Amino acid sequence: MKELSLILQFVQQILPAIWITLLISVISIGIGTIFGFLLAWGKMSRLKSVRWLTSIYVSVIRATPAIIMIFIVYYGLPFLFKGWFHLNIEGWQRMYFVIIALTLLFSAPVAEIMRSAYLAVPKGQQEAGLLVGMTKFQVFYRILLPQAFVIALPNFANSVINLLKEGALTFTIGVVDMVAKAQMIVSNNSGGFAFETYGALALIYWVISLAIDKFVSSAEKAYRRKRQTIDGSREAV
Amino acid sequence: MLTISHLKKRFGQRTILEDIDLTVHQGDVITLIGPSGSGKTTFLRIITTLEQADGGHIQFAGIDKDFADLTKRDIQTIRRNVGFVFQNYNLFNNKTVLQNVTEGLIVAQKRSKAAAKAIAVSALAKVGLADFQDYYPSQLSGGQAQRVGIARAIALNPKVIFFDEPTSALDPELVTDVLQVMRQLAAEGMTMVVITHQMSFARDVSNQVIFMADGHVIEKGQPSQLFTTPKVSRTKQFLAEILATV
Ligand SMILES: Nc1ncnc2c1ncn2[C@@H]1O[C@H](COP(=O)(O)OP(=O)(O)OP(=O)(O)O)[C@@H](O)[C@H]1O
Ligand SMILES: [Mg+2]
Repeated sequence: MKELSLILQFVQQILPAIWITLLISVISIGIGTIFGFLLAWGKMSRLKSVRWLTSIYVSVIRATPAIIMIFIVYYGLPFLFKGWFHLNIEGWQRMYFVIIALTLLFSAPVAEIMRSAYLAVPKGQQEAGLLVGMTKFQVFYRILLPQAFVIALPNFANSVINLLKEGALTFTIGVVDMVAKAQMIVSNNSGGFAFETYGALALIYWVISLAIDKFVSSAEKAYRRKRQTIDGSREAV
Repeated sequence: MLTISHLKKRFGQRTILEDIDLTVHQGDVITLIGPSGSGKTTFLRIITTLEQADGGHIQFAGIDKDFADLTKRDIQTIRRNVGFVFQNYNLFNNKTVLQNVTEGLIVAQKRSKAAAKAIAVSALAKVGLADFQDYYPSQLSGGQAQRVGIARAIALNPKVIFFDEPTSALDPELVTDVLQVMRQLAAEGMTMVVITHQMSFARDVSNQVIFMADGHVIEKGQPSQLFTTPKVSRTKQFLAEILATV
């Protein structure tokens, strides 16, 4: 029981850094989703060159390990900016680099998820929509997108959880997130209580993913329940 | 009211439709029959702009042009003046029965919600589904779904409704309800062009039957003539086969 109370104590010490983790994640997810949406669009473009470019981009990003992406952005971007725009961005907050790296990482799987969800919606509905007089955009926005959204939800949640975990590498470039905080605690204790400290950290991550899972599954359920409020009696066929 | 002339369509090298003509007058019920792969579906899809033609002319809703010259605006005009009932319904799965019908009224025809609802309710009553407004497509039988498809088409008050084998995806016991609705529409004077394998419907309801095969119109005529004394041997053969299997 002493273990447990120690872990809880470390949770309390780590927790103040959670907002860094959450801030980085939320921003990366937000921008990454928009970016992923555009990429999915590009992958289905009528122009071969656009399809080709987006496919290459997605496959390269998907193959890049998070830690490498973070390093490339952190060390490479200032270099590029100096060369191309004569701008010095070394003074940027380190958090920005992490956000850029995670946004890029997140956009690739999201592009795939959105594309396959869109393709999974039966397209006869599109023709039906056009022939009730709606424009292509109206059909997309009102009929196809809402259905694709529901199909994409579970995989999207998985990607969010992955991103959260990849974000745990943020400390590698010196941003004081929860992981960095845990490391400090361990070193302040001269390497003692490492198990309890990292255990506390794992616990926090676990609770966050549980919350995400729970949120997504209740969103899905709410959507399906809406469809089942009517008793399916089929008397008057 | 609708005239199509010299319509041509190729898919790759294959000619699917060769020099097809069609004239539809107000109140006509025209049935299209013919073997599988003869190009019936493609024909209706071209008229309704779901597919592009490789040649031919259309006169409809104030448009009098070659298919090749249709502008975006013309295409929209055509779409807003036709109804289409699909073989596999193609209902909007994320919308209720009522919303399936009001969608076009509100979004395309810009009617108020209340007006759209009133129109939709009466269209649904007409197809016998007044009590199913709040159901989702996944909760309907095939026969009910197809009747929603019909309600969705008639609610928009189109000049003509096209039906592509509206009963061929249905269990036999559900076919009658759908055909009954279509007979009633015909009796009310709705202009309809119907692809069907239901020869009794073609015989009893339509005022013209068109027999297509291999992308050609082989024979057309009044049902009383075409079914009893077909002029072309190809028609005779087809009718013998199809009536034998029913
Ligand atoms: N998108 C397409 N690409 C290539 N070929 C097509 C396409 N759509 C139809 N075809 C071909 O065109 C021909 C006519 O098809 P269509 O669906 O119009 O026939 P149909 O008379 O409606 O047949 P059925 O009674 O089986 O519905 C067929 O040989 C079909 O394979
Ligand atoms: Mg067909």
